[in-house]
Amino acid sequence: MALTGQATQATEVAAAPRAVSPRHFVRLKLRIMGNSFRGQVWRVVLFSFGILFGLIYATAGFFAAAAAGLAGNTDAAFLVAAAGGGVVALSWTLLPLLFFGVDETIDPSRFALLPLPRRTLVVGLLTAALIGVPAAATLIATAGLVLSAGALGGAGAAVVQALGVLLGLVFCVAVSRAVTSAFANLLRSRRTRDLAAVLLAVSAALIGPLQIAINRASTNTDWRRFLPLSEVIGWTPFGAPYTAGFEAAAGHWLAALAKLALVVAAIAVLLWWWSRTIETAMVGTASLGPAARQGTPGAPVDQLFPRILRWARRDRFGAILAREVRYWWRDARRRSNLITFAVAALFVSAMVNFGEAIWGTEAGEPARDVAASPLTFTLSMIFVGTLAAVTLANQFGFDGSAYANDIIAGVPGRTQIAARAAAFTVYVLPLVVLIAVIIGVLVGEPTWIPMALGTLVGTFGCGLAANSMLSVIGAYALPETSNPFALNTGAGMARGLLSILSMVIGVVLAVPLLLGALFAGDVWLWVALPVGLAYGAGAAWLGSVIVGDVLDRRMPELLLTITPRR
Amino acid sequence: MLRGLAKSFDGKVAVGGVDLDVPAGSFYGLLGPNGAGKTTTLSMAVGLLRPDHGQAWVLGHDVWRDPIQAKRLFGVLPDGVRLFDRLSGAELLAYHGLLRGMDPAVVDQRARELLDVLALADAGNTLVVDYSAGMKKKIGLACALLHAPRLLVLDEPFEAVDPVAAALIRDILQRYVAGGGTVIFSSHVMAVVERLCTHVAILADGVIKRVGTLAEVTGERSLEDVFVEVVGGRTATGEELAWL
Repeated sequence: MALTGQATQATEVAAAPRAVSPRHFVRLKLRIMGNSFRGQVWRVVLFSFGILFGLIYATAGFFAAAAAGLAGNTDAAFLVAAAGGGVVALSWTLLPLLFFGVDETIDPSRFALLPLPRRTLVVGLLTAALIGVPAAATLIATAGLVLSAGALGGAGAAVVQALGVLLGLVFCVAVSRAVTSAFANLLRSRRTRDLAAVLLAVSAALIGPLQIAINRASTNTDWRRFLPLSEVIGWTPFGAPYTAGFEAAAGHWLAALAKLALVVAAIAVLLWWWSRTIETAMVGTASLGPAARQGTPGAPVDQLFPRILRWARRDRFGAILAREVRYWWRDARRRSNLITFAVAALFVSAMVNFGEAIWGTEAGEPARDVAASPLTFTLSMIFVGTLAAVTLANQFGFDGSAYANDIIAGVPGRTQIAARAAAFTVYVLPLVVLIAVIIGVLVGEPTWIPMALGTLVGTFGCGLAANSMLSVIGAYALPETSNPFALNTGAGMARGLLSILSMVIGVVLAVPLLLGALFAGDVWLWVALPVGLAYGAGAAWLGSVIVGDVLDRRMPELLLTITPRR
Repeated sequence: MLRGLAKSFDGKVAVGGVDLDVPAGSFYGLLGPNGAGKTTTLSMAVGLLRPDHGQAWVLGHDVWRDPIQAKRLFGVLPDGVRLFDRLSGAELLAYHGLLRGMDPAVVDQRARELLDVLALADAGNTLVVDYSAGMKKKIGLACALLHAPRLLVLDEPFEAVDPVAAALIRDILQRYVAGGGTVIFSSHVMAVVERLCTHVAILADGVIKRVGTLAEVTGERSLEDVFVEVVGGRTATGEELAWL
């Protein structure tokens, strides 16, 4: 096995245990990956797709990074390095939180009982985390910068840049691990409520200044104006590793060295932070939810139903509805999905509607204060509606083996699907109303709010139907760890593909609403709300009937796919 | 009630044709070493795992052809399956009761009684995820009992349970059988099986090795001796492990 390395050192004392090097972690990870592919054809296929996509992006990135330097344009090369590198590093920081999760093939808590020094553990885990498609793709893409720096400043600059690229990769992986680990700790704790509120408030508050900033920026389209900004980015850990070589090429060797040192220091800090959060996670995995709560005495049945569901029928449908509503909040994994959706939806719809300010002014005309058309507005609402439902694409995976209880009780599939969709709607509907109102007001067209609502509800209903189906036929197991962002090997790709597929299906189903926005003219502003409501409700109902019947035939198989292998 | 149940995973046979008749009113022990296929067999019998071959009937209802009727008749305590553990004990019982289509008033009354008897009422609003292993077994048993089934299928009900709780569970089960119910449970704790069961079956390598009433299977000897003989395997160490 992986832990019996042959590292025989001459100085070793016979009785002393052999040192554990990062090599062992790498071999452990490769072995686990290999074993997880055994007899799982679809996993191999997904993994191959992942490699293919990774290669495509990496090659494109490589040429984009190398082009400016090869063309001899110093300023452009610097801008590409700072901005491009910065974006890459920032994606590593944020994307795992939003969409992809982190590959937890090697679960840190498994090492809790082994006598490993913290340093060995962290360095080993980091090295193992470097193995993977995203890391390889990043390395290839950023390697283009070495070529670029070399073309501008000769071999010396190329060497510095190569060092920078390697350090940059380590920084990216370290930052993604540290941030998800810290975030996971936060989400586990009781402070989550506050965190969610803060996140929402911050993102809402950002929209205003962002709009102004974009408007200002778009009045001047000369890219050279961004050079001072990229200069600043170049001195943050996000951009420093990628710009070091260009400092060297320009003859600023001291600056280059300083930048490399900056990255090394940043990595050290991140690793220290990560090791701290790993330790907290290791020690404190016993309690996942909020501890004993106070109050709510009364009959057991009344306790099950939250206050907002007092009206619900006390039957099967009501029971599943009530449990799901409780679960969307009590289960850290589901809660993080909800919060993520809320933040992402607000952000994306704001960006799309104010994006006109960025792209629409290339002809040189001054940017209008607000720039939105009914079409982009409708499109953004369709996006938000489908995005909301994507959260359900693996709804049974959240339950894991607990779903067996529903099978034993003989719950009909239609009830199961309909109740789950209804419970999720309890959370999404208020959010969606809020988004429609906020964006409508910010765009300066309050009369569009009914149309926004109609579109949102309509697409959300279609999304519910599509995602319920996917959740039954495309389910996958989630690991039973304390980290809500953790995924099994290969599941990241599955999750990404499923999300994309479900969004495409949702959008296709919503095409009639888009046609309405395009061709129905002004009438649509008023008809959209009733039409959207009817369309969404109808789609969701039809979906629950069809998917329910599929579920009736597939219950044991579904249970098998969502039960984590131990 | 089980006829030729068989299941294999990836070409590896887990259960190879199990026939088992559990008479109504019996207290049936399913014995077997780890990995014998106990959980697989019981999962197929209650509709959690689709068998490759064979059938399972509960009081005349085919579990796989007529699941709604069959599932109404039994209560299950699965092993290795999580409960909906982000609920408190009372909430979990209410959920199971309503899921079984019971009247809310009856659910309230029975849930309170079960929580009291199983000494879980003190836990109050603690979520089931924060319960100890023994408490989880007890709340799982309560969920299985809530709708007063005719048959109880229990997978390892005595595992990880302290002696006091075990005695309580034994008492509840004995009263249940005395009242006309049927229990089948899996275990590898010989003492418990010997004390409780009217019938036993020994399962090893996915096949039933011995089956019958307790007296028929054990004869003059102790159940443990019979079990070790049937299952095989070493029970003492030789030269190895000298460094311990």
